[in-house]
Amino acid sequence: MKRNPITVFTAAVLLVIFACMLFTFQVRQTEVAVVTTFGRYSHSVTNAGFQFRLPWPIQKVYQFDHRVQSFERKFDETITKDQINVIIAVYAGWRIADPKLFLESFNGDTTRAEQTLEPVIRNAKSGVISTNNFSDLISTNQAELKFDQIEKAMLDAVQAQIKQTYGVAIESLGIKQLGLPESITSTVFERMRAERQRLVAGYLSEGERRAKITRADADAQANKILAEASGEAKRILGEADAKASQYYEAFRKNPDLAIFLMQLNALEQSLKDRAYLILGPQTAPFNLLNGAPGDAGAGVRK
Amino acid sequence: MDNDASPPGSKHDPTSAPGAPQPAAAPGPAQGAEDASAEALSEALRSSFNIVKMLMGALVVAFILSGVFTIKSNQVAIKLRFGRVVGVGEGQLLRPGLHWKLPYPVHEIVYVPVGESHTVTSTAGWYSQTPEEAASGQKPQPLGMLRPGVDGYTLAGDGDIIHARATLTYRIGDPISYVFNFANATNLLQHILDNALFYVSARFSADDALYRNKLAFQEAVQARVEKLVEQLKLGVKIESGEVRIDTEPPVDVAEAFNNVIKAQQQGDIKIQEAETYARGATNKAVGDASVILRGGLTASNNLVTTVAAEADRFAKLLPSYEADPGLFKRRFLADRMGQVLTNAQYKIFLPERADGKPWELRLQLSKEPEIRKKESPKTE
Repeated sequence: MKRNPITVFTAAVLLVIFACMLFTFQVRQTEVAVVTTFGRYSHSVTNAGFQFRLPWPIQKVYQFDHRVQSFERKFDETITKDQINVIIAVYAGWRIADPKLFLESFNGDTTRAEQTLEPVIRNAKSGVISTNNFSDLISTNQAELKFDQIEKAMLDAVQAQIKQTYGVAIESLGIKQLGLPESITSTVFERMRAERQRLVAGYLSEGERRAKITRADADAQANKILAEASGEAKRILGEADAKASQYYEAFRKNPDLAIFLMQLNALEQSLKDRAYLILGPQTAPFNLLNGAPGDAGAGVRK
Repeated sequence: MDNDASPPGSKHDPTSAPGAPQPAAAPGPAQGAEDASAEALSEALRSSFNIVKMLMGALVVAFILSGVFTIKSNQVAIKLRFGRVVGVGEGQLLRPGLHWKLPYPVHEIVYVPVGESHTVTSTAGWYSQTPEEAASGQKPQPLGMLRPGVDGYTLAGDGDIIHARATLTYRIGDPISYVFNFANATNLLQHILDNALFYVSARFSADDALYRNKLAFQEAVQARVEKLVEQLKLGVKIESGEVRIDTEPPVDVAEAFNNVIKAQQQGDIKIQEAETYARGATNKAVGDASVILRGGLTASNNLVTTVAAEADRFAKLLPSYEADPGLFKRRFLADRMGQVLTNAQYKIFLPERADGKPWELRLQLSKEPEIRKKESPKTE
């Protein structure tokens, strides 16, 4: 009987598919796999792609997610070396490092793995915090802070316990919450208020102090400027006096005339304005009224 | 399928083979009808076969077309062959455009939106707020304390409590790592952002984090996030300035912080007033000094000029004086007295009394009014 080639091809394709289902499996890029033969561990597959196997029930394939899983531990209270209660929550990124151990430890169950991880991380966290002071966690002094070291110490402590035992590796571990117990927060608030009141007083008095200094400096500066100007003016006048004294030399030729002229000038200047003159009959030129010349004799008030 | 659809009569035509044995019965009308129905059936089968062939061809075309897929402009895609990434290096990423794949399980396509920006917000250090309260900007009532697990806050380096919130915007930088190495990269990034917020708060004083150095706080959070992302090779790309920080004092102590700001402003105002006064005083002093100097200069010039003029006058008058000093004096005195008497406001002449006794004059002098200067308002 002559066979139709399409029928043959279709049958062959179906046969190949069936064979593939029985004898092969694929490991996705995100996965690792463990192959067991009659229930006993055979080998692990960590490379993604097409893999061969013997059909069930001879061999069985377990596939696990090999990606980094995010694990979050709820906060709990722990005590620092200097006896301060702190509230700390940590997160971890973990992945399967040894598929065989992971299968044996947790039967491939991720939830069970995280349930096991939780106390391990909690113990590591408490252990590390208890060996550090509160100021190692928070401080404005960078040299005093050990935040990174504390996180690394926690990671090392967890890693040492779980990798060899459970086939799980921690890729990252960090603090994701850091706080204080409820009752302590109210104490902190009181301290913060007191600190702010101190700052208020400080800012006001500092403003007052600096304002006073600024005013006093300004006054001193102004006085200095005026004093310097007065000094300079006196110096200029002194120079003028020195220069004028050269002209005074001329008066030596006849001091009597010089004094007379100066007195005349003084008389004229002093009686220039708002003066009351009380004149007697002896006062020149009123002495003319008496018919005889005479010298001055007047009372003058200015 | 058997190919025996030759035309009826071509095989068993009785007229074509005279020596052949004759059939038991001669073909009648029934035989003719049977041949016709067989021929119709054969024709129907042939037509059906053609339809099936066309359908199969269409299926093949549909199969080929079903493998065609497009990648949008803001995406890249990764092709997996039997679960393994196809290609090496940059060749692992399929760029936007038209592509073709075989059906699952041979090929699988993973789309990664590399052009989209994603946002992660850390509220681990922020107070408890419903979305409605957040939208209206309403703050919680002060309770005198903060409850762990309910009220988020961070501890500042000086031991103070502050509220801090961070928002991170990122893009996927390494799609292979982001998709295939992390079960939930966004969740891990959220933890990293929380960590960065507490890490940076722990080294900034509350005043720095809240007011004085907010920008440095923000930069430090971004630096911490970038460092942790790099360590983990998370495959995300954070541009500069894509971490935004909000910080606030707790509502219980907000008034105390406000008072500090007010006091700071009042102190600054006092200093500014003093500086204004200082500038005024200095400028006034400079002006007064200028007046004094000019006065000095003027006086010195006047002095020298006057003395020089007097010396000149003296030299000119000296010969006259030496000729007759008495006459000279009386002449000049009389001349000056004339001027003095002209200028004087009040002149009283007391002639000699008939009894020869001197006059007794009584003067009532009232104090001259002083022109009081207007007092300038005090600046202090």
